[in-house]
Amino acid sequence: MEKNIASLKDYGYHDFSKFNKISNIIKKLLVVLIILGLYLSIIVIAIQSINDSQVLSEFTGFSLKWYGNILNEEELMQAIKNTFLVSSIATVLATILGTFFAIGLYALSRKSRVIWMLLNNVPILNADIVTGFSLMLMFRLLMVVFPNIFGLFTLVMAHLFFTIPYVILSVMPKLKETDPNLMDAAMDLGVKPYKALIKVVIPAIKAGIFSGMLLALTMSIDDFAISYFNTGAGYDNLSIWIYAVIGRRNLTPSVYAFSTLLTIFTLIGLLIYQFLQKQKKGKKV
Amino acid sequence: MNSEFKVLARPYKVWLSVLVFFPIIAMIFISISNLNSSVPFSDIAISFRHFELLLESSTLIAFRNSLLYASLTTLISFVLGYFVAYEIKKSKFKNKFILLTIVILPMWSNLILRTESLSNIMSENNILKSLIGFNIFGNISGTGIAVLFGLVFTYMPFMILSVYTALEKIDFSLEEAALDLGLTPLHKFWKVIFPLSLKGVVTGSIMVFLPTLAGFAIPKILSKGRIVFIGNIIENKFIYTNYNHGALLAIVILIFILGSIFLLTKFDKEGETLL
Repeated sequence: MEKNIASLKDYGYHDFSKFNKISNIIKKLLVVLIILGLYLSIIVIAIQSINDSQVLSEFTGFSLKWYGNILNEEELMQAIKNTFLVSSIATVLATILGTFFAIGLYALSRKSRVIWMLLNNVPILNADIVTGFSLMLMFRLLMVVFPNIFGLFTLVMAHLFFTIPYVILSVMPKLKETDPNLMDAAMDLGVKPYKALIKVVIPAIKAGIFSGMLLALTMSIDDFAISYFNTGAGYDNLSIWIYAVIGRRNLTPSVYAFSTLLTIFTLIGLLIYQFLQKQKKGKKV
Repeated sequence: MNSEFKVLARPYKVWLSVLVFFPIIAMIFISISNLNSSVPFSDIAISFRHFELLLESSTLIAFRNSLLYASLTTLISFVLGYFVAYEIKKSKFKNKFILLTIVILPMWSNLILRTESLSNIMSENNILKSLIGFNIFGNISGTGIAVLFGLVFTYMPFMILSVYTALEKIDFSLEEAALDLGLTPLHKFWKVIFPLSLKGVVTGSIMVFLPTLAGFAIPKILSKGRIVFIGNIIENKFIYTNYNHGALLAIVILIFILGSIFLLTKFDKEGETLL
C-alpha cells in the first residue's frame, strides 16, 4: 500500500537545503576573496605608507614619519598642487557650464535633444588614448598661433571636455523629473524667465548638480591618459609624475602616505554622506 | 521647459562640434598626409605610406595582445563580476548603497599608484612576503598573468555596477511567477533573470573591454614593458613625435570603439545603463 503513495520526490521536489548551505558558504567565501582582490592594491599602499624603511620591498617596522614627510617632498607637493589646481578649475567650470548647457539641451525639441545627447556621450565612451591623442594634435596645430599653450591651459580644456558630459548626464534626469508647471507658476507670478531659472529650477535640480560635480571631480582628479598627452612644460599632475618616476627610480613612501590619506578622507566623506541621508529619511518618516 | 533657454545650448553645440569633430578630422588628415614639423607648408601632400605600419609584425603583435587581453579581461570580469552583482542583489543586507560603495571605493584611488603597488608585490621579494612570510602570487612579475590580474581587478567594478543596475530593474514578481510555474532556481536564473540582465552585461562588457583594449599604463607597468599593447605603440610614437603613425593607430582604435557603441545602441536604446 505504501508504494502507491507518491512522495514529494515523485513530484519533482528535491531537498536542496543541505547542498544550499554548503554552496552558500562557498559563495560568501568567493565574494570575500573577490572583494579582497579589489582591495589588494589599496591594502599594499596602506602598508607601504606605514613602513619604517625607505626600501619598498621589506617591512622593518611601524612608522608614521612618511606622513609628516609629504610636505617636504618638493616634486610630490608640486604634482599634488598641479592636480588640485587643474581639477578644481575644471570641476567648478564644468559644474556651472554643464548645468546651464543641460537646461539648454532640455529646452530643445526631443529629436535634436537625442542627437546632441548622443554626441555628449562621445567624450565619455571614447577611449582616453584617442581623446588624449586627438586633442593633443589639435592643440599642436593651434601652437602655430599660440606657441605656449601646452600646460595648465590645455590640461583644463581637456579636462573640461570629458567632465562637462558627466555633469550634463547627471543633471538631465533631474530636469526631466521637475514639474513643468513650476516654471510657468513662477512666470505667472511675474518673475522673469532667467530669474525663475535661478530661483526655481536650479534649486529643484540641485541633487543632480551635486552628483554631477562629484563625478566630474572624480574623473578629473584621477585622470592619467588624457592629461599625459596634453600636458607640457613640465606641468605634471600626480598620475603623470608617478608614471614618470616609477620607470627610473623608487617612489618615495610619502606618495603612498598621501594616497592613503586621500582614501581615508573619501571614506569619511562617504560615511558622513550616508549619515546625513539616514537623518533625512528619519525626518521624512 | 521654456523654449527661450534653447540659447543656453548653443555654446555647448559649438564646443562639442569643435572638440569632437575637429580633432578627429585632424587625426585623419595627419594619418594620410606627410604633415610633420619638418615639412614646409607648401610641400604638404596626401600620402598613404604610413599605412605600411599596419602590416609590420610588431604592430600586428600589439593588436593581437590588445584584443586577446581585452577579451580575456572582459570574460573573467563578466564571470566574477556577474557573480558579485548577483550576490549583492540577493543579499538581505538592506543598505545596498554601502555594498556598491565598497565595490567602487578602490577606483577613487590613483590608478597608476595602485598598479605600481600590485607590480611590487608580484616580484620575488616584496613587502607582503616580509610581513606574512610567503609570496601570495609566487613570482609572476612581468608575465601575462600579472597583466591579466591587474586588468581584471581594475576594471571589474564597472561590470559589477552595470550588471547590478540591470538586475535591480527586474520585477520581483517575475521571479515569483517563474517559481510558481515550477522552474527550479537554476532554471529560473537562466530562463528569466539572465536574459533580462543581458543589457547590463553588454554595457558592462563594453565598459571593461574598451579601456583595456586602449590602455597602455597597466600593461607597461605590470609586464615591465615585455607585453606590448597597441596603446604602448601609440605612446612611443607620441614620445618620438611621430604623430602620423600615432594618429593612424588611434584611428584604428576609434573604429573598434564605434563598433562597440553601435553594438551598445542595439541592446540599450535609451542609454539608461550607462550611468
